[in-house]
Amino acid sequence: MAGILISMRAAIARRQTAGKRAAGVWALVALVTLLAVGTLLTGLRHYHYAGAGANVVATLSLGWLLGWVTGPLLTGDDATLRLDYFKLLPIPVRKLAYAMLAAAFANVSLAFSLIAFAALIALGAESGAAAALTGAAAATLDLVLAVIASQVAIAVFGPAISSRRGRDFGTMVLALVITLLSLASGLVPFVAQRLTDGRSPVLSDVVRALPSGWGAVAVDAASRSDWGLVAVCLGALATLIGALVLAWPPLLARRLTMSARSGRRPTPARRHRRDGRPLASLPLAAGRDGRPLASLPLTPSGAVLGRELRLYSRTVLRSLLLMISFLVGTGVGITCALSGNTDGLPFCGLLFTVIAAACFTNCYGDDGTSLWLTLIVPGAARADVRGRVWAWLLVAGPAGLLLTLVLTAVSGQAWPWPWVLAAEPAMVIGCAGLLVLIGAWSVNGLAADGGPSPARVLKTHLALVAIPVVVLFPAAALLIPGAVGHSLLLRWLAVPASIAWAALLSWRAASAAAHRLESHGPEIFSAVRASSA
Amino acid sequence: MNGNDVAALELAGLLKRFGDSVAVDHIDLRVPAGSFFGLVGPNGAGKTTALLMAVGLLRPDGGTVRIFGRDVWTDPVGAKALIGVLPDGLALPDRLTGREVLRYLGLLRGLPADVVEQRADELLRVLELDHAVDTAVVDYSTGMKKKITLATALLHSPRLLLLDEPFEAVDPVSAATIRTILQRFVAAGGSVIFSSHVMALVERLCDHLAVIDKGRVVASGSLAEVRGSQSLEDAFVGIVGARTAGVEGLSWLAS
Repeated sequence: MAGILISMRAAIARRQTAGKRAAGVWALVALVTLLAVGTLLTGLRHYHYAGAGANVVATLSLGWLLGWVTGPLLTGDDATLRLDYFKLLPIPVRKLAYAMLAAAFANVSLAFSLIAFAALIALGAESGAAAALTGAAAATLDLVLAVIASQVAIAVFGPAISSRRGRDFGTMVLALVITLLSLASGLVPFVAQRLTDGRSPVLSDVVRALPSGWGAVAVDAASRSDWGLVAVCLGALATLIGALVLAWPPLLARRLTMSARSGRRPTPARRHRRDGRPLASLPLAAGRDGRPLASLPLTPSGAVLGRELRLYSRTVLRSLLLMISFLVGTGVGITCALSGNTDGLPFCGLLFTVIAAACFTNCYGDDGTSLWLTLIVPGAARADVRGRVWAWLLVAGPAGLLLTLVLTAVSGQAWPWPWVLAAEPAMVIGCAGLLVLIGAWSVNGLAADGGPSPARVLKTHLALVAIPVVVLFPAAALLIPGAVGHSLLLRWLAVPASIAWAALLSWRAASAAAHRLESHGPEIFSAVRASSA
Repeated sequence: MNGNDVAALELAGLLKRFGDSVAVDHIDLRVPAGSFFGLVGPNGAGKTTALLMAVGLLRPDGGTVRIFGRDVWTDPVGAKALIGVLPDGLALPDRLTGREVLRYLGLLRGLPADVVEQRADELLRVLELDHAVDTAVVDYSTGMKKKITLATALLHSPRLLLLDEPFEAVDPVSAATIRTILQRFVAAGGSVIFSSHVMALVERLCDHLAVIDKGRVVASGSLAEVRGSQSLEDAFVGIVGARTAGVEGLSWLAS
């Protein structure tokens, strides 16, 4: 049976590495190879501080083990041998469990992990053959632990992650981690230094105490001929693996009787509640629990505004885009400020607003085929555009303005005030109409994997440049001569001029967007439908 | 023109091409006011394309669509005010709850807030969605999504309902509820046009129907005229010239 599962896994994996996704898969292979070789090299390197090598290898082993455990969960369960395939087959659970475990070892990812865990052998080899052999045993046990822990994690957390809320959460966490990692690249040398110079015993103790660190501790002990500690560490790893192997069949049995959709065991249908709650007393602009969101006008535009405000807070893509805009917008300025340069701080709010606006230029494409509801309601196009404009002003405006005011004050500099007060309010106001117009003119669907399509990414990048140019050129036309000619009047004149231009621009853009939606609604809808198919 | 002579829906020479393929090929169809009209045809016959053009969601390459005499493409505001639509496979703003979708749509249509509240409450109760008022539509089952979309079609009390596969994935109890609602709607003077693959359902509900095949209307008229002396299912197979497969092969099955 394990043979059948292995060939099934191989066939699915072959399919996944062919066709449109091949380029992405090969890019991932190149990245993982680089990481694996990098890990191996840390084992080969000589460190001045005794035990530094074990600290570094233990930390990197933690990274690899976390990758094995969280990878399938964050990317949506096991993409090859999904447990749901086997729910209806009359196979004893124990037999299926061990066959799946065996099949889990027929995974090309093992080759990369083997290279990475070989760092333990390299670390031991520096102290002699016995330590190298200990490293080999530890590497093998780490590898087995990674594979089995990954399977167990899928059985335990898979149903929750497969549910809609779990997927949403996984996507948010993944995006958060990627954004923070890209911003915190400056932190790596700091951590590496702490691990290798022995100045942070707590950090070293933590990475060594975790199961991922036991292999490195064993190798370190072998280099000191502390064979008792070697036996304890390797024995503990073997015991942990044994415990997970024993836990796996019952966990699989539990998983196979769960609903993959909800992550709950099937239960008899509940009787519908008819508790006679006074539904009519709920406010029209109520949240999901009946809590008021805001006092929204009971008009067509107010209805759209209410819909938009709810979707901004409840739709993963929208929350994600706002979060990334905020992190990148503030991260750049704050990272510079940590190194003593506060010139970027006043412009964090502006950067946040520009990134958010560029991200939301695909508003109709991102909402998908629900556009039909707007199109079948007579005269709803203008209300739709107006509601979207106000929603943007209410969502992005306060955040951008507050960031600008607070961080400019924190920077302690006086010169940026006319610049940011001319730019930020104008950007918020101008973008409100512009992004709806761009969204009505250019509709991009999602890519096959659910992420943004290449065309949408290109549009976002173009908008990042084009929007500030269009919105801010009157401000720049006054601010730059004002700065060059030391004219305070010109610089402060930029504030009302810029806001007036942005208001006019936004108004004209919103009118054009509404006209576009009225005259080309079916064409926009067809483009959305085609890209959603 | 006498008000009673005006068709609820009138398609004349309706044409839609997608590249080289003709999805709807000069369809002429008249749905009498006050009728319960079935639209049947094999998969890919052009039913959904025709319905999307009829409600103004897909621009035709030729022909006209009139709803109670108002042209959908030259007088969209007048025509769209008269219809309620349940499309097949199109999304709702699915992070809203069912109640929020109805409130949003009611206010968007300009209905007074108290009317929206009262109608939404009634629709949710009658369609047995009141147990899920606080559940986002994304967490609804397929049948529940169908029912909340039907509620959006009924909310503003239209004169004509255009429903694409309204009974698909709906449980038998809910299907009976929907049948009763639609029959009451027609009895009160409304008109319904719906597409379906379930011949028994069309036979049971409709007084008129049209058979569409390969983008053309191949038969239309009253139920009696279309089916003649046979069952609608047999008549349908005969009209579209299909051959029922499944007689040959699979000798090992249940042997």
